[in-house]
Amino acid sequence: MKNNLKNNKTNANIYIPLNGKIEEITQLTGDVRLFKIKTETPIDYVPGQFFMLSVWGAGEVPISVASLPEKNGTIELCIRKTGIVTSAIHSLKTGQSIGLRGPYGNGFPIDISKGRDVILVAGGIGIAPLRPLIQQFIKNHRKAGKVTLLYGSRTPDEIIFRDEVEEWEESGIAVALTVDKGNDNWKGNVGLVTGLWPEVRTDFKEAVAYICGPDVMIKAAMRDLFFLGMPDERIITTLEAHMKCGVGKCGHCYIGPQYICTDGPVFSYKEIKEQSILK
Amino acid sequence: MKKELILDKNNLSYWLRQIRKKRELIGPLMNGGNDIVFKSVDKIHELVLDCPASLPSPKEFIFPQYEPMLRIRQASNVKYQEITDLSEKTRRVIFGVRSCDISALGLLDRFYLKGHKDSYYAERRRNTLFISIVCKDPDPTCFCIGLGTGPYLEKGFDIQITDLGDRYFVQIGSPEGAKTVKAMSFLFRRPQKTDYEDQYEVFLSSKARFHKRINLKGIRQMILEEKVKDDFWQWVADRCFECGGCVYNCPLCTCFTVTDRAYSEGTERIRLWDACMFKGFTRMAGGILPNEMMVKRTKRWYYHKLIHYPETLGGFGCVGCGRCTITCPGKIDMASIATKLKGLAISEEEK
Repeated sequence: MKNNLKNNKTNANIYIPLNGKIEEITQLTGDVRLFKIKTETPIDYVPGQFFMLSVWGAGEVPISVASLPEKNGTIELCIRKTGIVTSAIHSLKTGQSIGLRGPYGNGFPIDISKGRDVILVAGGIGIAPLRPLIQQFIKNHRKAGKVTLLYGSRTPDEIIFRDEVEEWEESGIAVALTVDKGNDNWKGNVGLVTGLWPEVRTDFKEAVAYICGPDVMIKAAMRDLFFLGMPDERIITTLEAHMKCGVGKCGHCYIGPQYICTDGPVFSYKEIKEQSILK
Repeated sequence: MKKELILDKNNLSYWLRQIRKKRELIGPLMNGGNDIVFKSVDKIHELVLDCPASLPSPKEFIFPQYEPMLRIRQASNVKYQEITDLSEKTRRVIFGVRSCDISALGLLDRFYLKGHKDSYYAERRRNTLFISIVCKDPDPTCFCIGLGTGPYLEKGFDIQITDLGDRYFVQIGSPEGAKTVKAMSFLFRRPQKTDYEDQYEVFLSSKARFHKRINLKGIRQMILEEKVKDDFWQWVADRCFECGGCVYNCPLCTCFTVTDRAYSEGTERIRLWDACMFKGFTRMAGGILPNEMMVKRTKRWYYHKLIHYPETLGGFGCVGCGRCTITCPGKIDMASIATKLKGLAISEEEK
């Protein structure tokens, strides 16, 4: 997919991170926090792009944007504590500085959803890259038709942005939640997110889907949507990979003929099939 | 200024000494283990010009195995962190480079400088002048002739020299090369008819000396037509030692990893060569290994070089330098694979 933003073609060293300041940290679930980072000059980006966050001494890690660009230059990033760098980020406190480079990657194609119904499929922390899309759909709801969010989590306690999900529902987004394993208080669905298709009151053939989650979930959801009649080019997903540079040089995210960082991370099912990206 | 000149062999060391006044001189030297390595030259007479391929390739001077990128100092007033760009700016001349390695540079340039420009590569590239030498006697492992990347070049070089016995035929291919020759123009004379004839003679005899004739286009076609089955790639994977030797010695392998090292006064961010043959190459946070199966990794290397390089950069990810043939303990290097596949194709036809 083509880049929505132009590449930076100056002579500046692209590996030098900008200085960002952590303005706010919100604990979302047990191991997931939302970091609000302010940069000196506002950075423009689109949903689906990512930043290389850097903590000196620990390293760099690619994180998708979880918010729409703000005029005051804040970026929200939703981070799960998983590895060395994400643990280092979690140990940072409000007011401390953090390095960031970007935005990189192509971002979600929004135009294809004009006048169409939208189905968003999220698994676990996969909700984070879809959040700015949802915000955008709420902001200018006339451009898209009916918006449905299917969101699967491991347990009810691990539902990220739970309060916001309720707000989204109030703003007219149809939401269906599911968990792998419920608890005593959970009255909702239990099972895979791909078991929620009957909840979708949309003509699949005419709709657009944006999917983000673990590899297995993405594969299953794309295949199901294909069999439900959705054309390949309107099944959109965003992939993740080990990355060191974010600019198509280090080679770690090279998959098929594509670099996830520069040719993606957003791909359509059509591209994934043609380039045999997900195997 | 003429683009073709003659340099008397007796003047070579004087010429190099003059160039060395302005640039660090790098050339092929023999190390203790009888291997050829490109190193900073102290004694010019120790240069080995009729030598087998160097290990690793001279790419290490523009994309080094270990390269410091950034240094950060934590200032006492915590507010500001001082970031220093550690780009290497030494001016170098690399003498005695083979045509295949110069051809590789053309592709490396396209890779590192297109789109997001890699400033570390760009900086080193800008400051390095290459004097390449026409291979008179190719190694048994060489197969550049089938790829058009050697044994001599028509374009893409800074300065190319051909050994004509008692003199060198010098060709200038870039403005920087012209500048270097012009500064010492009194050392050179215009070529005469016999010089051209002798150069042609060297080209011809060199071409005739190749042991290997490898047709990568044919192999690419076989893969594209899906004639290469999965069990073949499994066979390749079974023979792989995961040593990474092919990757590290390849003049066209570009992958690196980035890591932070803490020192008492701050942190240094460095980059190191990395190899897609290693299992941990694609490991994500949380321990997921997308390429855990060896077959995925070996196949990836061959697909990258034979299928995707031509699509994205306009040339094979192989220049026929033969270094993977020298280093691979499993005999699954580019030339062996190509020969093996050709054999498979022939036996398939005979069935």
